[in-house]
Amino acid sequence: MNATTLDAFRGGLAGLAARAPRSTLTDSERLARAKQVMHRRLGASDAAYLETCLHCGMCAEACHFYVATGDAKYTPVEKVTPLRRVYHREVGPLRWLYRLVTRDITAAELESFQELVFDSCTECGRCDLMCPMGIQISPMINIMREALTAAELAPAEFRALKAEQAATRKDLGVGRSEIAALAAQISAAGVNVPVDAARADILYFVTPLDVQLFPDSLRSAARIFNRLNASWTVLGASAELIGTGESSAEVDIPRIVAEAEQRGAKLVILPECGHAYPRMRFEAANVMGRALAFEVLSISEYIGRQITDGKLKLKPIPGKEQVTYHDPCKIGRGGGVFAEPRAAVKALGLELREMESHGRTGYCCAGGAGQFLIDRAQRLRQRAFEIKMHEADDTGAKTVVTACNSCRYNFLTGARDANWHTEVKSLLELVGNQLTD
Amino acid sequence: MSVLDFARGPAFHVAIVIFVFGICWRLVGIYLLRWHPDYSRPRRGGLIGGGVHSMVMRSLPPHELEKHIVFQHVSGYGWHLAYFAAFLLFGPHIPFIRQFLGFGWPTLPNAWILALAAIALTLLLVLLIRRMVNPVLRALSTSDDYISSLLTMLPLITGIAASAHLQLLGVRYETLLGVHLLTVCALLIWFPFGKLMHLFLTFPARFQAGVLLQRKGVEA
Repeated sequence: MNATTLDAFRGGLAGLAARAPRSTLTDSERLARAKQVMHRRLGASDAAYLETCLHCGMCAEACHFYVATGDAKYTPVEKVTPLRRVYHREVGPLRWLYRLVTRDITAAELESFQELVFDSCTECGRCDLMCPMGIQISPMINIMREALTAAELAPAEFRALKAEQAATRKDLGVGRSEIAALAAQISAAGVNVPVDAARADILYFVTPLDVQLFPDSLRSAARIFNRLNASWTVLGASAELIGTGESSAEVDIPRIVAEAEQRGAKLVILPECGHAYPRMRFEAANVMGRALAFEVLSISEYIGRQITDGKLKLKPIPGKEQVTYHDPCKIGRGGGVFAEPRAAVKALGLELREMESHGRTGYCCAGGAGQFLIDRAQRLRQRAFEIKMHEADDTGAKTVVTACNSCRYNFLTGARDANWHTEVKSLLELVGNQLTD
Repeated sequence: MSVLDFARGPAFHVAIVIFVFGICWRLVGIYLLRWHPDYSRPRRGGLIGGGVHSMVMRSLPPHELEKHIVFQHVSGYGWHLAYFAAFLLFGPHIPFIRQFLGFGWPTLPNAWILALAAIALTLLLVLLIRRMVNPVLRALSTSDDYISSLLTMLPLITGIAASAHLQLLGVRYETLLGVHLLTVCALLIWFPFGKLMHLFLTFPARFQAGVLLQRKGVEA
């Protein structure tokens, strides 16, 4: 991908906010909608976490936005204050007491948390590991995000994307026809890419970033599946169904599950996408209220397994190049995929130099959970990204490899803004280029 | 009725009732809320083992996280250990505890107990001051934090005064002991309403986190 394509895509994102529809909700409607989400999602596990918090502030030290700025407002658990207040006043066992000594949240307060739960939280989950009480803060931030989205208080970029998805069935300009066109182009170049086959063992997703910025991603996945003689197909509607700016509640998971089950898929494989992976791997079964009939894997996980099982052979890249691996938060810390991508790096003949914070404690690239969509958050994103940049520099490696195209986009734009000359590569594309003959 | 008689009698009984009933009320109110079942395929088995592992290992975070919180960790665990040692290993406390449990245990010399109490009190004071001046802590703090700190310190202060037989403003030892017991009553009464409940909530929360992360294949 060249710099012009990157700049054009970035320019497109910068114009998103202006296209957001105007909200017509009154303050009381906003509050009612937000509280409805909070009441629906708050359960005993969140209650136990909210009740256990000691206000020790240690979670701040895990958050890249706090570490980068030193601003106390970025303390992770502080970002769920409205949820905590609703819990204590309306749900918790001491609600009769809290109603006497605390006041209710307001729509204006909710709106003031927009910056804290969207611009300055990527739901990376690093704070979840730091808390000495074991409090899982990022799932509660997710409740806050869903509550604000329901109250039409999500950032303008998210609202614009949602409106465009509803009107055009395209996400970031990518729908069924764009995916089919890319597949046809790759097939015409000699790498067969089946789309919407009636039956397939593997259902593969394609994201808007794959189409708009990283088309080699699909080409590489196709090469790998074809080399393994896998029965596979791309889901033509995958971009519109996963929806970059959509919250978990808005993604049409029942339709995705139906698409997979109708085809008799044994595996649903997500591309290099930290947005789609947790949705399908962990949330889909709970949305359906039953175990899924198929297994869900990320492509890096699939590749690593095939290599470890001896089914996928790679030609080592000459020169024993030193690289460092960035664990995408939602796939690594959020999904336990650590060993498989490292097995692929090793099979590629690369020398892996780990960052100080890697694996479960790795820092986020600072643009996850749709943060990269928010134009006004660019400076904050860059400051937090620089933590990652310095950790990568300290390894001495001149290349960062990752397995998430959102992370890759953040690395590319962050590197460009910081005039950082480290190369950023996709694990999938490296593997796709090194298959044995 | 003297201060000591009041403290040992009605005040203590009321405090115990509120303490026990309040703890039960709060625990039941939390854990009887609905649990959302998790239907996703676990990445790893041994969910219970993951929970137990987390109960222990949350105290020992990996170096890259720990290096930012060394002071909080050392001071936090330090005052807890000193506080409980001073409470549980002080000779005059043992007959009192024996009334409830029916058995006792060896104790430490009074000088050691005074030193432990002084360490706990100093650390508590340092942490309280830190809470008031550190921007993160100041923003997070609620009245619960200050009330809980104060009520935790008061038994230490009055206990030191009573055990040292300090003739504060000419107050008799029995009265000092009564005041010490009243501060214990205040602590017991406040306990179910504030953050002191973490004595009962911490390990279940750690277990819960351990099970969740084990499902995802991540060490908690």
